[in-house]
Amino acid sequence: MIQFQYERATTTKAAINGLANNSNARFIAGGTNLVDLMKRNITAPTKLVDINMVPLKDIQQQNGKTSIGALALNSAVADNKLIIEKHPLLSQALNAGASAQIRNMATVGGNMMQRTRCPYFYDTALPCNKREPGSGCGALEGLNRMHAIFGTSEQCIAVHPSDMCIALVALDASVLVAGPKGERRIPFEEFHRLPGNQPEKDNTLQNNEMIISVEIPDNAFAKNAHYFKVRDRASYAFALVSVAAALNMDGKVIKEARLAMGGVAHKPWRLKEAEKALAGKPATEETFRQAAEIAMQGAKAFKYNAFKLKLGPNVIVEALKNAAGLV
Amino acid sequence: MNEAFFDKKDYKPLDRVDGRLKVTGAAKYSAEYVLPNMSYAVLVGSTIAKGTIESIDSKAAERAPGVLAVISHLNAIKLPSYQSKGEHPSEPSTKGQPLRVFFDNKIYSNDQPIVAVVATSFEKARHAATLVKVQYNKEQHQTDLEANAEKAVLPASGKKNPKSPTADYDRGQIDAFANAPVKFEAEYVLPTEVHNPMELQSITAHWEADDKLTVYDKVQGTKMTQKNFAKEWNLPEENVKCIATFVGGAFGNGLHNWPHETAAIIAAKQVKRPVKLVLTREQMFTMVGYRPRTWQKIQMGATKDGKLVAINHQSIGQTSTYEEFTESTLQQTRMMYASPNVSTRYRILPLNLATPIWMRGPGEATGAFGLESAMDEVAHSIDMDPVDFRLLNYTESDPDKNMPWSTKYLRECYDEGKKRIGWENRKMQPGSVRDGEWLVGYGMGTGTFGANRNSATVHAELDKEGNLVMHCAITDIGPGTGTAMVQIASNTTGIPTEKIAFHLGNSEFPNAGLQGGSSTVNSVGPAVLAACNALKEQLITMAAAKGNAAFASAKPDDVMFDKAEIQLGGKSAKLTLGDLLKQNNIEKIETTNESKPDENRNKYSMNAFSMHFAKVHVHPFTGQVRVKKIVCCADAGTIVSPKTAASQMIGGATGGIGMALTEDAVMDHRFGRYVTKDLADYHVPVHADVPEIDVYFVNKPDLLADPVGSKGLGEIAIIGVAPAIANAVFNATGKRIRELPITPDKLI
Amino acid sequence: MDKNQANNRPEKEDHHESRRDFLKTSSILTAIAVAPVAVAKAAEHNLGEKISAAFETTPVNMTVNGVKKQLNVEPRSTLLDTLREQLDLTGTKKGCDYGQCGACTVHVNGQRVLSCLSLTVMHEGQEVTTIEGLAKGEELHPMQQAFIKHDGFQCGYCTPGQIMSAVACINEGHANNEADIKEFMSGNICRCGAYPNIVKAIQEVKNGGQKS
Repeated sequence: MIQFQYERATTTKAAINGLANNSNARFIAGGTNLVDLMKRNITAPTKLVDINMVPLKDIQQQNGKTSIGALALNSAVADNKLIIEKHPLLSQALNAGASAQIRNMATVGGNMMQRTRCPYFYDTALPCNKREPGSGCGALEGLNRMHAIFGTSEQCIAVHPSDMCIALVALDASVLVAGPKGERRIPFEEFHRLPGNQPEKDNTLQNNEMIISVEIPDNAFAKNAHYFKVRDRASYAFALVSVAAALNMDGKVIKEARLAMGGVAHKPWRLKEAEKALAGKPATEETFRQAAEIAMQGAKAFKYNAFKLKLGPNVIVEALKNAAGLV
Repeated sequence: MNEAFFDKKDYKPLDRVDGRLKVTGAAKYSAEYVLPNMSYAVLVGSTIAKGTIESIDSKAAERAPGVLAVISHLNAIKLPSYQSKGEHPSEPSTKGQPLRVFFDNKIYSNDQPIVAVVATSFEKARHAATLVKVQYNKEQHQTDLEANAEKAVLPASGKKNPKSPTADYDRGQIDAFANAPVKFEAEYVLPTEVHNPMELQSITAHWEADDKLTVYDKVQGTKMTQKNFAKEWNLPEENVKCIATFVGGAFGNGLHNWPHETAAIIAAKQVKRPVKLVLTREQMFTMVGYRPRTWQKIQMGATKDGKLVAINHQSIGQTSTYEEFTESTLQQTRMMYASPNVSTRYRILPLNLATPIWMRGPGEATGAFGLESAMDEVAHSIDMDPVDFRLLNYTESDPDKNMPWSTKYLRECYDEGKKRIGWENRKMQPGSVRDGEWLVGYGMGTGTFGANRNSATVHAELDKEGNLVMHCAITDIGPGTGTAMVQIASNTTGIPTEKIAFHLGNSEFPNAGLQGGSSTVNSVGPAVLAACNALKEQLITMAAAKGNAAFASAKPDDVMFDKAEIQLGGKSAKLTLGDLLKQNNIEKIETTNESKPDENRNKYSMNAFSMHFAKVHVHPFTGQVRVKKIVCCADAGTIVSPKTAASQMIGGATGGIGMALTEDAVMDHRFGRYVTKDLADYHVPVHADVPEIDVYFVNKPDLLADPVGSKGLGEIAIIGVAPAIANAVFNATGKRIRELPITPDKLI
Repeated sequence: MDKNQANNRPEKEDHHESRRDFLKTSSILTAIAVAPVAVAKAAEHNLGEKISAAFETTPVNMTVNGVKKQLNVEPRSTLLDTLREQLDLTGTKKGCDYGQCGACTVHVNGQRVLSCLSLTVMHEGQEVTTIEGLAKGEELHPMQQAFIKHDGFQCGYCTPGQIMSAVACINEGHANNEADIKEFMSGNICRCGAYPNIVKAIQEVKNGGQKS
């Protein structure tokens, strides 16, 4: 870890100014991913702007949406009464991620900014276009059991590791960001990006922009929501496949559905076609199976992750069954 | 004589004697000693698996703030022992020449330590290490076991000696399998596993004088370490001191002295300051051994009514190109079941990898996955209960050594285990029991391990207040050695446990072997016993000499202590310890006693046995396996410390869960580098993976094995667990997974 | 290819490494506004290594186990390394250094966090409690007693982290049943496998009414 410049900011403005004129400056909040990456020499910012003093921790309900400050801790959001009551899917997803200690440090904004866990990204002796553009993708022909089946490119087949983001994309959240030129809102689905030819870019945040909050519009999914995560051990592991499922039910009929997958793409993978297929249908395993098939269209496996083609739809069905109360 | 008084009390559960130190953070591990002028070393590993170093550019690192030295083969001291070729002279390293760190420019494996950066702080050393630039001449490496299987060889020990455990073995008819009425054949693979103790391998090396070295080192043998470093540096043994008072787990990886230890000692010599070196978690995968990936093939022949006719078992395990690592993968196949015809073929495959080292239940745990899975498969194929199948082929004597067992109470384990797991709920037909969406399965596996015993020496002193203090060089990597020894001493003398101290983990204390191979209680326990009896004899002699006629014909067993009072059987006579010592003008008495294996070892086959039962749930759509209960039954002889022994069994079962379900060091053979090399990607079980683990000890002494009656526990705690779980998964699903770990992708 | 560059290369170019180069970087000088002026000036004039070392550090005030500490640390020092190497509070353990094992768990302002992923400079004004600060003098915390009673450890290396985590687990309200305890303690790995005993210890303390 190089010696870097450290600065504390207490306002959004000061924080954003702190990044000015230094493209290699970074915000630090929980540090749970950044410090890890810095220790392993995967990233080496020359300046860190500590934003923990910026007052962005509030969780509030107003104007038909729930707003969660970017610096709200993962544990605070997961345990928040308003969130548990209105957006239990988010609470479940947060609790499925990392460990209690990490959730006590990691913030909502930091969770969104976390980088892939691809082992080729994590080993500076191996090729990785995300870490070192142009060096090649080690995973493409390598050990890609954990890797993406949707939206991959020849440059990168890494997956986004967050659980929280899977719930947020399913819940149609948007991201309020601020930069030198003011604020803007990014639909959650557009916040993270596919690797394409620029796998080094994880998201659409511009230089000097800062996440202010995440906003979730009110919805009718609280009663029938489930986050289902399959991993290599019972807890404290990244997803092989995870699914966030939320249903708005009218008796036994699905009025509206929300569905997103984790562990399958470079971004939280929203399944809109499958959602459409669920709308208006009875909540049966048969319906869910059909939706799952639609969801998997376009999936492409690599040497070691073909199991995701089968596990993926199964987890979709299980998540929906749980959401619908069929289990 | 009052019988009740002289009957040895049952061993009662005792809280760990070092518990308070451990729960308060006061226990000091090897990187936690404060020394003046401390410096910090960080190792740079090679990024190729085979070839030579062409150049090292260390200028930037040398210029970095706080850097004291950048040490590589270009500028390192050449150790006297590095000149020797061939086998390393010291035990218990594996055969060959351990890697000579910073010796030359040769690369034998990826992440081989090639540079040490020493600085005034850890942060500075870590940073400067990233500035070292190395250029290589790369050569084609081979790291893939399966791809190179045909190059596997008989180990040197097996070549040299046909009686060696690694040699080819044939009992009975070689073609028996071909003629068996029921024939079964399958291959099994255990992936590379890594010990991954929670404490990172650490050493603090301190040259107290030019020729006087002290290491605070994470090892399983302080005497081994003392001897090895004395040889390495051409020093008298008494000039080398190894301190390992607390060892944060090891599971075998402290049974070898590794290059990083020598690197730290070299660094300390060159910077003339104490050096602290703590490996990174990645380096724990590449620098301190691992359980080698092992391929096995089993052929098992039986009659239709379940009598074993033949077992042919072969295995190939990987090793490095510079050391031959061997383990007892196939031993239990020779002696576990009453098959008249058995053949084993053990092979090793040198690859461009670092040397493996025994990992808990070493080869036996690997072999048991094959043997006990095959037993389950054959039982299933003839529609026989797997416990009944084992009982039908039970051996009442060792068919390999042709000797009687010293003791064997495995039947009791089968009976008790069946009851405790609820075996009657198991259905022969796989996939026929459900709990909601989950499939339910039951499985079992047997384990065995030699009741090993080494010579050991204990020094004991008893003061006038009745405090008993003992010393021994043995280490405690976690099982609770101090606790067990205190219990043996208390049980032998009657002195309450709180008045007894057992000091260990220091090479200056009397000799003991390694803490490994389940040998500690069997080896050091008898020395404690001998020392306690010797103290009693001294007291008897003194008492008799001072005219206590009642003591004149007394034997150690007739004497017990009650507080500071010495009592003769039936309280027929007693005297005060303080008075007796005062009469003799001494403050304390002391003794040093060695205890050694005896000739019974030539007459009996001595083994500990275990039986593990598992109940699992398998989610049919997502392939998730949840172990719901494990029952461990052990025939380990006398259990001297019931509380810590139970914990050891629970820990072994937990390790078995990891082996069965989660642990897999995956290598990308294009680069010869691991891709699962930290605790996020290499999954050891967490709290949520571990169910109730019910432990039962037969607890019958084996006094032929050693005077304490113990047969050892550490290995049998894990041997047989993984196949029990794999067999339960089969019972739940009908899917037979022959390559561990059983991850969700393999079951959907 | 037969010649390979060893590439411990981060995503960025190499940085100015020598002390001289480092000190010349004016943006850094302005950043470390907290460094005493005299020190900064001395550094500018390339005076001795010791002064430079002072310059590279930042003062931090925090309370550790109830004692106020004025520390000077490099911004890159983690709380874990500061505790272990600077304060000799080695009860907090380094098991992975990457936030994957929980051995380094401490309480910051009463919350359990991983000291290995936490920079010391980020704890200005905060209260840190380590395993050494849990007992009240000679009297062990009930969780420490329960760990001894239920044998919730073997080698003892993960133990301080387990205990700090366990105390917080109850305080957070995440110890209401066995399944919850296991889930919310899964960030603390025990390779010796003492898990069932740890769960029993936590249940006992929870049922006995933990006083933090």
